[in-house]
Amino acid sequence: MKRLLVFLKDYKKECVLAPLFKMLEASFELFVPLVIAYLIDKGIVAGQKGVILKAFALLIALGFIGLIASVTAQFFSAKAAVGFATGLRHALFEKLLSLGFPEIDKLGTGAMITRMTSDVNQLQNGVNMFLRLFLRSPFVVFGAMIMAFTIDFDSALIFLVVIIALSFVVFGLMAINVRQVKNVQSKLENVLISTRENLKGVRVIRAFCKEKEESNEFESENAALTKALNRAGNISALMNPLTYVMINCAIILLIHTDALKVAQGTMSQGTVVALYNYMSQILVELIKLANLIVLLNKTLACGNRVSSVFDIEVSQTEGDKTSKDCDEAIRFEHVSLTYPESSEETLSDISFCVNKGETVGIIGGTGSGKSSLVHLIPRFYDATNGTVYVDGIDVKEYTFEGIRKKVGIVMQKAILFKGSIRSNMRWANEKASDDEYLKAVSDAQAKEVVDQKGGIDGDVEPGGKNYSGGQRQRLSIARTLLGKPEILILDDSSSALDYLTDLNLRKAIKALEYKPTVLVVSQRTASIMHADKIIVLDDGHVVGMGKHDELLKTCDVYKEIYDSQYSEEVG
Amino acid sequence: MKTLKRTLRYIKKQIWLMVLSMLLAAGASISALFIPIMIGNAIDVIADIEKAGAVEVVGLMFVVVVLLGKTVAAVLVSAVCQQLMSIINNKVTYRVVRDIRNEAFSKIQKLPLKYLDSRPAGETVSNMISDVEQFADGMLLGFSQFFTGVITIFGTLGLMLSINVRVALLVLVLTPMSFLVARFISKHTYEMFKLQSVTRGEQTALIDEIIGNEKVVKSFCHEEEALMTFDEINARLKECSQKAVFYSSLTNPCTRFVNAVVYAVVALAGGFSVWTGALSVGMLSTLLCYANQYTKPFNEITGVITELQNAIACADRIFAFLDEDTEKDSRVLDDVKDNEVHKIEGHIVMNNVRFAYDPKKPLIEDLNLDVRPGQNVAIVGPTGCGKTTLINLLMRFYDIVDGEIIIDGKEIRDMRRHTLRSKFGMVLQDTWIKEATVLENILIGKKGATREEAIEAAKAVHAHSFIKRLPKGYDTVLDEDGSGLSAGQKQLLCIARVMLMQPPMLILDEATSNIDTRTELIISRAFNKLMENRTSFVVAHRLSTIKNADIILVMKDGHIIEQGDHASLIQKGGFYKQLYMSQYRQA
Repeated sequence: MKRLLVFLKDYKKECVLAPLFKMLEASFELFVPLVIAYLIDKGIVAGQKGVILKAFALLIALGFIGLIASVTAQFFSAKAAVGFATGLRHALFEKLLSLGFPEIDKLGTGAMITRMTSDVNQLQNGVNMFLRLFLRSPFVVFGAMIMAFTIDFDSALIFLVVIIALSFVVFGLMAINVRQVKNVQSKLENVLISTRENLKGVRVIRAFCKEKEESNEFESENAALTKALNRAGNISALMNPLTYVMINCAIILLIHTDALKVAQGTMSQGTVVALYNYMSQILVELIKLANLIVLLNKTLACGNRVSSVFDIEVSQTEGDKTSKDCDEAIRFEHVSLTYPESSEETLSDISFCVNKGETVGIIGGTGSGKSSLVHLIPRFYDATNGTVYVDGIDVKEYTFEGIRKKVGIVMQKAILFKGSIRSNMRWANEKASDDEYLKAVSDAQAKEVVDQKGGIDGDVEPGGKNYSGGQRQRLSIARTLLGKPEILILDDSSSALDYLTDLNLRKAIKALEYKPTVLVVSQRTASIMHADKIIVLDDGHVVGMGKHDELLKTCDVYKEIYDSQYSEEVG
Repeated sequence: MKTLKRTLRYIKKQIWLMVLSMLLAAGASISALFIPIMIGNAIDVIADIEKAGAVEVVGLMFVVVVLLGKTVAAVLVSAVCQQLMSIINNKVTYRVVRDIRNEAFSKIQKLPLKYLDSRPAGETVSNMISDVEQFADGMLLGFSQFFTGVITIFGTLGLMLSINVRVALLVLVLTPMSFLVARFISKHTYEMFKLQSVTRGEQTALIDEIIGNEKVVKSFCHEEEALMTFDEINARLKECSQKAVFYSSLTNPCTRFVNAVVYAVVALAGGFSVWTGALSVGMLSTLLCYANQYTKPFNEITGVITELQNAIACADRIFAFLDEDTEKDSRVLDDVKDNEVHKIEGHIVMNNVRFAYDPKKPLIEDLNLDVRPGQNVAIVGPTGCGKTTLINLLMRFYDIVDGEIIIDGKEIRDMRRHTLRSKFGMVLQDTWIKEATVLENILIGKKGATREEAIEAAKAVHAHSFIKRLPKGYDTVLDEDGSGLSAGQKQLLCIARVMLMQPPMLILDEATSNIDTRTELIISRAFNKLMENRTSFVVAHRLSTIKNADIILVMKDGHIIEQGDHASLIQKGGFYKQLYMSQYRQA
């Protein structure tokens, strides 16, 4: 949390002025009962008309100055809180963008988005409330007590006792309530999961005629939520009546004691009224304070979550090299990879090399490590052991930009961003001419898609929702092709394409005039069988390497895969 | 108004509780109203004590004690009433909320897929969770504060009038000012709030996109540009947020100031009345207390009204959802008898079937098909050609626009959906795992099946070996997304469900797309066994998996352009052959 305070640095003045003006407002409020006492004792009882008028003017003036002070405070605190959130959001976004793939995996995108949105909003609100109320409420409570002490010691003792007792009740109930609310939250979460799950599985549920069962299950979860809600609601409902009884009993006690004092002539009637007023002020502020503390507690939790993001150390550091001429495009030397959260090796002792301009196929079953292997080339992850060379240089020695411009990868899941087809493709090459766009699009077999949307300026909705899976895949291939990478990696990126389109795509890539080195990851033998070299992976190990015909003879795994897709007697 | 009426319908079941709650509210606020009077009286007696001689003091002290005793009683009555009222209000509200959620959930089960497919799931979830929540908050606040607030306002006014007409009228005239001030401010901040929420939405969308797909962003080294776009929105958000936060925070100080003015005016007018002897000091203190109390419910009610407006907006959305048309089940009302007796053979005929998701874009037109019992039908064709649509129609996820689909002599729209669907076993490309144990997930396939049967089914589809290796085997609890399982493993579980079900007919929509071909080979043996003598439909990209089908339907743009078995289609040399050969041709 402490490190987040940096973002208040530019708002030091506001952070001091806001609470200061709030306290000013509170102190003016504390004068009101004194004015009333003055009005009664000096004005009414003594029969001074002028005093009554003066008291009236004083009351209005106090109210007005209070208004000005409070508005000023609100202004400064709004400025500081929003400024704080803005700075924080910028820094957090920058930090999140600087994370490497292993850190992204560990944190999870869901958590990252929550940190950026609701956590920061909560922090803004928390800072705002803190600046506005944190000094004001205690100030009023203790101010009222001190005022009481200046008026009458015995009565002030009643104040002291009541404040302590009220604090116990208010904060105790709040503490219980916080726990109850947590319980409600978890029950609500269950209801939410149930709902989401059902919407997602609606076809399956209907296909198996499970509507009734699902409804029954939901109803029992909903009943548990209702029970939790009632319990939490009833406990927090205790707050009002309980504090009400306490404060009124205190008032009664106060008047009883004071009645005796008045009888002895040691106290005036006006003072009794003043003390009575002070007592009433305490309750409101104590409850405000308790609410504020609950809010601050939540804010603190958000703050800790956010600052833990800033604590994440990026495991990869970039080098400074950009390029070197070399015949060898890629070389793996005894490379193995173990993901941080995993106990087993995903890739084990992999060695191979690829010459410039070659086409390499990588094949294997699900979970055999195909994607992990190619992710090492643009340095999405670092090899746990061994070295990956691109153009004869260890990938760790490149700048991130250098290696990633050199290596173009089309990922398994095709992602498009809001904007136009052009704004999406621009990412790969900002200076591309229209002709280059069209060439990339037609190479990626996406011409009909682009034509259908009215050209490369056609709209892309968030998440590329207005395109089918196959269309998105082709456009993301086009995007990578526009960058004219020296090494092109297709990571199972034609899985949603039919065989014919897939074939045409392969032809077009073969014909590219800048002759990239191509790595094709696939589960289909058809997509890779004509490659210059095929690497067969099984459970993270290379179990075969060579051309199609050789592998059919020498590699059992490859033959099995091939047979499962081609042999006639299987169906 | 309509929304309010509808809400009342939910409350009606608990009308007596509501009446009781209102009585308690009246009890709580009326007894609370008398407290300032009694304290005022006590203060007056104290004033008398000040002037009284030693003899009278004892008697007067007794009066004070009696008054204070009465006050304690009033305080207790008020507190107990308040607590009981809260308990009842909670009960009523949460019951209504429970009923609405249950109703909404069973609504989900009955809505046509057309509706559910076209609406983001998040929207429905937010209807059911946050909208209902806000509605509940509004209702609670309305119950607990609106009624007591109104009683307090009128009660205070009445009591003030009884104490001093002039002061009371002054208060009556002045208090609406705080109302007006609050209204003025909220009206002017509304625009700013709207701008803030639009800008915030814009920013959230960007965050979702960039952070949600950060790996892609990084692979193109697009971080800097993304940050620039972000900063531009962030700067705009700062500007409008600062205004929105500041202006909205003006309401409190301003209404407080108005209250201070009212308070001062009461002090002035009251003070003069005391001076002229029309009012006692104790009663002045009572009036001051009332003046404070009188303005409070106004502020609260203003708050309640905004909250209620919000709640009504939420309720509107919920009710709109509840009012969506549900699917009509069967065109014929009573089909139960004939279908359950009828032996299912699996003869499927489609005549002139026409269908479109969007009336403007016809998809399937004039589709004819005759599948004899026990035949295996494979559907192939390029993406978007209508393969999955055909399955949507068979399962009646969508109803056809024109033509007819007849299964064993009966039009499917004349059957109840349950009757129709229980004839089919279905495996889809998108696997669906429920938050439950592995066993429960398999048992979805067949109600009342034993553990042994489920394990048998898992063995048949070669899921047993990986399930065994899970931390708790068949009793391992899977989460919503089945994370921890690979896509292929999830699919195997879905296949096990169907294996357990042993359905009369089978639909496999890309059922093995996430499974590597070697495992697929093993599973397809199990499938083959399952498909023996069962009418089945298989959608796949992999031509090798469907070569042995009895009929291959080649679809393109919603039409069946070729139909026949593998050999004859290859011989024909049409689109199928083109698709098939593309697997072999040199790239």
